Amino acid sequence: MPLLELQGLTKRYGGILAVDQVTMAVEPGEVRAVIGPNGAGKTSLFHLITGVVKATEGDVLFDGQRVTAMPAFGRCQLGMSRTFQITALFPEMSARENTSLAAQARDKQRWRPLGGGSVFAEAQRRGDAALERLGLTHVAHRPAGLLSHGDQRLLEVAMALAQQPRLLLMDEPTQGLSVEETAQAVDVLAGLFAAGDLTVLLVEHDMEVVFRLAEKITVLHRGAVIADGDPETVKADATVQSAYLGGYA
Amino acid sequence: MRMTLAVAVLLALLPLGLPPYAMTLLTEALIMALFAMSLDLMVGYARLISFGHAAAYGLGAYTCGNILLHTDIPLPFAVLIAGVFSGIVAIGVAWVCTLATGVSFSMLTLAFAQLLYAVAFKWTSVTGASDGLAGIPRTKGPFGTAFFGTKMGFYYLTMACLFGSFLFARAVVRSPFGAVLRGIRENEAKTLSLGYNTRLYKIAVVAMSYMLGGLAGALYAPFAGFANTELLFWLLSGQVLIMVIVGGTGTLVGPILGAVFFLLVQQQLSTYTDSWALVFGAIFILFVLFAPEGILGLARRRRAH
Repeated sequence: MPLLELQGLTKRYGGILAVDQVTMAVEPGEVRAVIGPNGAGKTSLFHLITGVVKATEGDVLFDGQRVTAMPAFGRCQLGMSRTFQITALFPEMSARENTSLAAQARDKQRWRPLGGGSVFAEAQRRGDAALERLGLTHVAHRPAGLLSHGDQRLLEVAMALAQQPRLLLMDEPTQGLSVEETAQAVDVLAGLFAAGDLTVLLVEHDMEVVFRLAEKITVLHRGAVIADGDPETVKADATVQSAYLGGYA
Repeated sequence: MRMTLAVAVLLALLPLGLPPYAMTLLTEALIMALFAMSLDLMVGYARLISFGHAAAYGLGAYTCGNILLHTDIPLPFAVLIAGVFSGIVAIGVAWVCTLATGVSFSMLTLAFAQLLYAVAFKWTSVTGASDGLAGIPRTKGPFGTAFFGTKMGFYYLTMACLFGSFLFARAVVRSPFGAVLRGIRENEAKTLSLGYNTRLYKIAVVAMSYMLGGLAGALYAPFAGFANTELLFWLLSGQVLIMVIVGGTGTLVGPILGAVFFLLVQQQLSTYTDSWALVFGAIFILFVLFAPEGILGLARRRRAH
């Protein structure tokens, strides 16, 4: 059974069809990318999956459970963790406090108003492990707002990882990075995904990034899916080439 | 902790050496300190700016006044009940106010306080309308003791409420709950996306803030012996916000200092001029411009040098 399944998902803003009857699936253990030119509906689709906006039609199923009407924080509690297109951190907290607060969200006693030393200890342990996996241990005590842009992007991934997500959702992970920073970030992410313990859905428009990271690709054009498959198939697809790649491959 | 204990011992010893008039002023300062500290929970830790915190104070004062006027419930219990009542009412208030964020949230808190202010003018049987509640007694007990009704006993009761509330508030801001509040303060959208139902956290902190603010108001009613509509007026909401900002937001201790400072300045200046608020306004502007971290921040900066 797929971990994430979209069935005829549609989003209309007034007369504009942003997402058009999208049906796709993410299997457990898979790293899948959704690509498409600007305005293809990638971000709208991402919002529908994370629950930021509500679908006009169709369904989102997570692990067989219908979550179409569930708010964003509820979906997160089921095991969907996300990163943002524009880095979203707690800038005045240290990197370590950022990951710890992320991990704490998964604790049943996350709301405890008194005491809670054991909650913090467990959250910090998970948070530190995530920082180490992304090679951020050396900046753990620095305020998140003072990290380099590349490290901030990786810290956001570490925060998602600290939640031990069943599905990791990434919205343009290299957005706003320089060429060198992008190369470094992609190396770190490729190493992370190589461990094979994560299920990932990422939205990205940088083709090199996508072909480096993704095992499966879904291509969106004008809100609809025009191709779906492994990178080689998608690259060779004539519809994709005319709609998007424009001779890239 | 050592600092807290030292201050507690000092305040506990003060009644032995102070004249009655100074005792009265000190008691009022501690009540105001509790009120300002309660607002800091919302403002300093969750960046929920309330323009209507007088609602908490007035609710506590009228509730406690009515309990003392109409029942024999011992004074300390009446104060506690009134504080808790204020916190319970706040759940409803916060449920409405948290539908909005930012300035709209602030405006809703103000609107709610002004609503209560208007109700207090009309609901004569409970609030005494424009006359207010007069002759609020300090009931006996518990165990028949009249100690808490005396000047010194009431001072110790106030002190106990302030320290109890301070320890409670400090435990809250250092708890997992408090960590989530800081997340909301810095980036609410991110906190939400991490899986926290941020609205519930906001409602909870508003309720706690109103409970402690209500406790302060509940102490004021038997302290002054009366409760009137001024305790619900926006002027008080503005003053307490100024105390918090001048003292230093997000520190709990800062607003306590801010309240004491405010009362001292008021006390000293009002003997010379009726326009003392003008001077305090200037002080407020200077703080916002040159020491936005408040009195406590200034003190810490000095110590760091």
